[in-house]
Amino acid sequence: MASIDQYLSIFADCRALIDAGSNAAMNARRDEAARLLARQGLPTLRTERYRYCDVEQALSPDYGLNLQRHLPAADPYRTYRCGVPTLATTALRYVVNDSPAPAALSAPALPEGLTVCSLAEAAQRCPDLMERYYHRAAAEGADSLAALNAMLAQDGILVHAAPGTTIADPIQIVQVMAATRPLMANRRLLVVAEAGATLPLLLCDHATSPCATLATHVTEVYAEDGARIDLYRVEETNAAHTRLAGLYARIGASATLRYHDVTLTCGLTRTTADIVLDAPGAHVTADGAVVADGYQKADHNLLIDHRAPECTSDLYYKYVLDDHATGAYAGRVLVRPGAQHTQSEQTNANMCAATTAHAWSQPMLEIYADDVRCNHGSSTGKLDDAALFYMQQRGIPEAEARLLLRHAFINDVLQRIALDPLRERLSYLVEKRFRGHLDACGSCAMCSGKH
Amino acid sequence: MLQITNLHAAVEGKEILKGVNLTIADGEVHVLMGPNGSGKSTLSHVLVGNPKYEVTEGTITFNGKDLLAMSPEDRSHEGLFMSFQAPIEIPGVSMTNFLRAAVNAKRKYFGQEPLPATDFLRMLREKRKLVGLDAHFMSRGVNEGFSGGERKRNEIFQMAVLEPLFSILDETDSGLDVDALRIVAEGFNMLRNERTSAMVITHYQRMLDYLRPDFVHVLVNGRIVREGDASLGYAIEEKGFDWIKNEAEAAAAAQNR
Repeated sequence: MASIDQYLSIFADCRALIDAGSNAAMNARRDEAARLLARQGLPTLRTERYRYCDVEQALSPDYGLNLQRHLPAADPYRTYRCGVPTLATTALRYVVNDSPAPAALSAPALPEGLTVCSLAEAAQRCPDLMERYYHRAAAEGADSLAALNAMLAQDGILVHAAPGTTIADPIQIVQVMAATRPLMANRRLLVVAEAGATLPLLLCDHATSPCATLATHVTEVYAEDGARIDLYRVEETNAAHTRLAGLYARIGASATLRYHDVTLTCGLTRTTADIVLDAPGAHVTADGAVVADGYQKADHNLLIDHRAPECTSDLYYKYVLDDHATGAYAGRVLVRPGAQHTQSEQTNANMCAATTAHAWSQPMLEIYADDVRCNHGSSTGKLDDAALFYMQQRGIPEAEARLLLRHAFINDVLQRIALDPLRERLSYLVEKRFRGHLDACGSCAMCSGKH
Repeated sequence: MLQITNLHAAVEGKEILKGVNLTIADGEVHVLMGPNGSGKSTLSHVLVGNPKYEVTEGTITFNGKDLLAMSPEDRSHEGLFMSFQAPIEIPGVSMTNFLRAAVNAKRKYFGQEPLPATDFLRMLREKRKLVGLDAHFMSRGVNEGFSGGERKRNEIFQMAVLEPLFSILDETDSGLDVDALRIVAEGFNMLRNERTSAMVITHYQRMLDYLRPDFVHVLVNGRIVREGDASLGYAIEEKGFDWIKNEAEAAAAAQNR
């Protein structure tokens, strides 16, 4: 049986149960998603955007689903205690497997104009907003994995900033996968910054279970006119975890999205990012840092869709791959007719620290406007022997020299993070990672005092 | 301090050093001269253990220890330093972090605790002044965006920080203007004492003027063919290498007869 069939039959058999555990806004979009999925099936290795990601294999195990919405027994705010020594946050929310945990009782009140709540709550409190945004950007790309998620997901989180709201410290959302038997979680995140709002957001993805787990993620990001969204994602999942994610963003006139994606550890992690520059003066920067070893696999596939004039995009992704790790990067910058004065930069650089590591790199430019400035570049190499020897001559042991070189290579990406404490924290975590001191220990390394 | 006996070495299978013998005592400065391709840089790299160079025969003893059995980093800890002819750029590794790693690795080798941060920074400041290197270089990547002269000055600065017993200056003077050369040479002279020695590769008389070497050796075709005091260096400056080459060939021919 093809993987797709087990999911379609679950949907057909358990539709009532799925709906009952969800909300009207999400239920309203399931049929359309199921139809798309049934029609086009799952991507294969021949599907252009999935050439290095075997979705069929990733989805073939028989994972359990939590359709009846059992909440995990443990209180994540206690289990994953956050010391917050360096990072001030405006709000902290946990998602355990596929369930948003209610805010801690001690959580401070949210600032005026900011909403952070479950999608179930959002469907009740602001149905219009759900109607306007939920599964709109995500549906557009007709991606089978986004459809699979929309068909099965039952809850998620909404982060909404009202017009003109300025949030200084990030809202942190920690998504934890903790299961005692194979489990699939379908997660949704809806981020909306209304006109002129400023919204920083930090997502931490964790998986600690020794048993096989799978998470599908669909994150929709809407930056309305003049808004600014800073989205940071840090992944510390484990070898038993598969993460299939979609990031769908729409950026309005003179609005900005800054996206930073750091993978410290993973099993298989895949991100499809479709970012639409929808109106004049929209800006996006996206950068990624991947550290992978063992048999870890990290695959980023980006589409930057320049639909309006005077927009800019700037992509910067770097991978350090060791052992048998695989890194795949594809970035397609599409400049549509009429998108004059587009400025676009794209760089992908990879360092293979072992001859058994693989890097696939595919930066692409597709231009249908005649007055644009676009660059793209790619490089893949190994550690610089000359630099290594120079350091050894100065007395730095080889292992330490290798560490410093790899750290420097990745740290270069982190320099693009404007938030000082976060940048320093990440730089420190990357160093720990290279020293082998970063283990999947069950607490959030972004904020726990233990690390 | 250093004894090199019948040293043969090859790069990518090609023999470059063909039996070098050289002894350098404590406190001595030796200058190594020779035409391009004679093996001067190869000798330097072999001494510091560059893995690209293969020693096929011979021994090197450094303060009583078998140098060839040591890793490059241990040679450094034991007091060997090379000022690179072309210093390497290491983007993203700041000078401060680079030197902290180097200094603390050496301390660890000798069973000492890492140097406290304030002591370390004070030491950097003092050594920087010695060679006139501006503070802003410390937060830059190693040699990143340094001019040719700044790189050479940086080499001497690192030498000052690491306080080696034996320094190799591989054409540290090349590419320097007169003022930079003076600063580099004066910095080097300030670090000299009766316990430290050096091997200096140079083509220039000006360097001889500054360093006042104890011995000059001429390397031709992988062998030291002539040795003398500083006056040999000045003779070469005046007459070139050809007369030495011719003499060496004549001597070799005589031996073969």
